[in-house]
Amino acid sequence: MISYVLRRLLQLLPVLLIASTGIWAMIYAVPGSPVAALVGENATQEQVQAVTERLGLDRPVHEQYWAWLRNAVQGDLGLSIQNREPVRDLIVQRIPATLQLGLAATLVGLLLGVPVAVISALKPGSWLDRTLSGWSALALGVPTFWLGILLILLFAVQLRWLPSASTYVSIWESPWQALRNILLPALTLGVYVSGIFARFLRASLLGELKADYVRTARSKGLPERDVIGRHVMRNALLPFVTIVGLMMATLIGGAVVTEAVFTYPGLGRLLIQAIGTRDYPLIQGCILFILVVFVLLNLMVDVLYAYIDPRIDYG
Amino acid sequence: MSAATQRVFGTLRRVLVHRGALLSILFLLTLLLTTLLARWILPFDPLAQDYTKMLQAPGKVHWFGTDELGRDILARVVFGARTSLLTAAGAVTIAALVGVPIGLVAGFFGGWRDALLMRFVDVLLSLPGILFALVLIAVLGRSQMAALVAVGITGIPSFARITRAQVLSLLKRDFVTAVEALGGSSSYNMFRTVLPNSWSPILVQVVILSSVAILIEASLAFLGVGIPPPTPSWGEMLRTGKSFLHDAPTYAVFPGLVLTVTILSLDTLGRTLARVLEDRHEIADSPGKTP
Repeated sequence: MISYVLRRLLQLLPVLLIASTGIWAMIYAVPGSPVAALVGENATQEQVQAVTERLGLDRPVHEQYWAWLRNAVQGDLGLSIQNREPVRDLIVQRIPATLQLGLAATLVGLLLGVPVAVISALKPGSWLDRTLSGWSALALGVPTFWLGILLILLFAVQLRWLPSASTYVSIWESPWQALRNILLPALTLGVYVSGIFARFLRASLLGELKADYVRTARSKGLPERDVIGRHVMRNALLPFVTIVGLMMATLIGGAVVTEAVFTYPGLGRLLIQAIGTRDYPLIQGCILFILVVFVLLNLMVDVLYAYIDPRIDYG
Repeated sequence: MSAATQRVFGTLRRVLVHRGALLSILFLLTLLLTTLLARWILPFDPLAQDYTKMLQAPGKVHWFGTDELGRDILARVVFGARTSLLTAAGAVTIAALVGVPIGLVAGFFGGWRDALLMRFVDVLLSLPGILFALVLIAVLGRSQMAALVAVGITGIPSFARITRAQVLSLLKRDFVTAVEALGGSSSYNMFRTVLPNSWSPILVQVVILSSVAILIEASLAFLGVGIPPPTPSWGEMLRTGKSFLHDAPTYAVFPGLVLTVTILSLDTLGRTLARVLEDRHEIADSPGKTP
C-alpha cells in the first residue's frame, strides 16, 4: 500500500514540476519585463530592488527558477501588486469561503443526484427513467451562470426571500445567515454536480444489477430493499468514488464561475480579480495553489479507491 | 451513390430516428441559417445604439427588448451565435489538429513516445479546463485570438485520449495485423489503415466538444475575459444583463436560453451519434457516455 502511494506520488512529480514551470514562466511571456510584471508599473525603486534580489532576476534563468521554486515550496508566493500584501495571506483568507461553498454544493449534488440515479436504475427504459435522464442532461447542459441568474431573478428579485449577492458567513458563527447566503450559490453549483452523480451512479448501478450475486440474492427471497441497499449499492459505490476526482475539477472550475455570479468572496473571485488587474504574483499564487490541491485530491481519490476495493492490485 | 456516401446517409438516418437528435439538428440549422442571413432578415443592427430606447421590455418592435445602450437584444443574440459558433469551430479545429496526431502516435507506437505524449496530456489535465484558459488569457491578454486558442487547448486532451483508445483497440484487429504481415510500412498502416477507421469516435468528439467549447467561451465572456466588446457574445450579454436584473429582468433570460438550447442540442446530437456508431461497432470506447 505504502509503495503504491509512493509510486503514485513519484508519477505526479513530473506533472507538478512541468505545470509549475509553466506557471513560473508565465511572467516571461507577458509583454514587458518580468520585473514589471511582478511589481507593477507604479512600484518604487525599493520594491523593484527587493523582488530582483529575492528572485535573483538579474541572475541566469535557471537560478531565477530555482529561487522562485524554493520560495514557493516554503509558502512564499511574493507580494500582490494591487495592495502589497503577501499572496499567501490573501489566498489563505479565501479558503474557508470556497471550502464552505464546495461542501454545500457537494451535499446538494448528493441529495439531488443519488435518488435520481437509484430510481432511474431500478426501472431502466421506463418513462420515469427517461424523464430523470433528461434531468441529468439538463443539469449538465445549463450553464451555471445562467442558472444562477435565473435563481437570483426568482428568489431575490421576484420573491425577495434571499439576497442577490452572497457574502461569506461561517456556518459555525451564524448558521441562519450562513444558510441564507450559501443557499443559492450551493444550489447553482450543486445542480451541475448532481447531473454528474446521477449519470455515473446510474451506469454503475445498472452494471451491478446484471451481476450473478443479485440474481442469487433475489432467488433466495431477499427483499428488494436489501438487495439494493446491502448488496448492489455497496458495489456500485466503488467506481463512484473515482467520480469524486472528476467532480473536483468541475467543482473548482464551477466555483470560479458561481462565485462571479453571486459576487461571493472565494478563491475563484480572487483569481478573476487578479486577472482583471493583471496582478501576476497573485495569479501565479492562486493557480499554483489550485493545481496542488487538485492534484493531491486526485491522488487521494486513487488511493482511497485502491484501499476500499480489495480487488485492485496496488502492490 | 458511392459506398462512403451511402454509409454517411445510413448513419444520418439512424441518428434522425431519435426525436431528440432530430429536434437538435432542426434547432442548430435554424440558428445557423438565421445568423448567416442576419444582415437581410433582421431589422436592427446589433451595434446600433439608441439612447431613447434603453432597457426596454420585450415588445412588438424589439421582440427580446433592448439593452443598456438601446441596442436590439434579438439582433445581438443572433450575432452572438456567430461569435459562439465561430469560436467553437476554430477551437475544435485547433484541439483536433493537435490532439488527434498525439493520440495516433502515442497509441500506434507505444513505448517512450506514448509515455512522453501522455505525460504532456496529463499536464494539460492538471488544471480544470476553464482555469487553463484563464491562465492563457492572463498571459496573452484579452482578444478574440486568445479566447480561441485558450478554448482550443482545453480540448486537446479529450481528442488525444479518444484517438489513442481507438488506435489501441484497432491494433488488435485482424485487418491491421494483416497489413503489417503483408509488409505494409508503419506509416502506411498508421495513415491508410488505422486513421481512416478512427474517424467515427473523432467525429463524435467534434460534436460533443463543440458544446463544451461554446460553454467555455461563454464562461470566459461572462467572467469578463472573453472576446472583447462590442462584439456581441452570449456570455458578455449575460454578464451585462446581470447588472440590470431589477430594471430589465428579461435581459439576461434570452441570451442564456439560446445558449443553453445550443449546448443541449450539440450534446444530444453527439450522444445519439455515439450510440448509433457504437451499435454499428465503429467505436471501441463510448466517449459519449462520459461527460
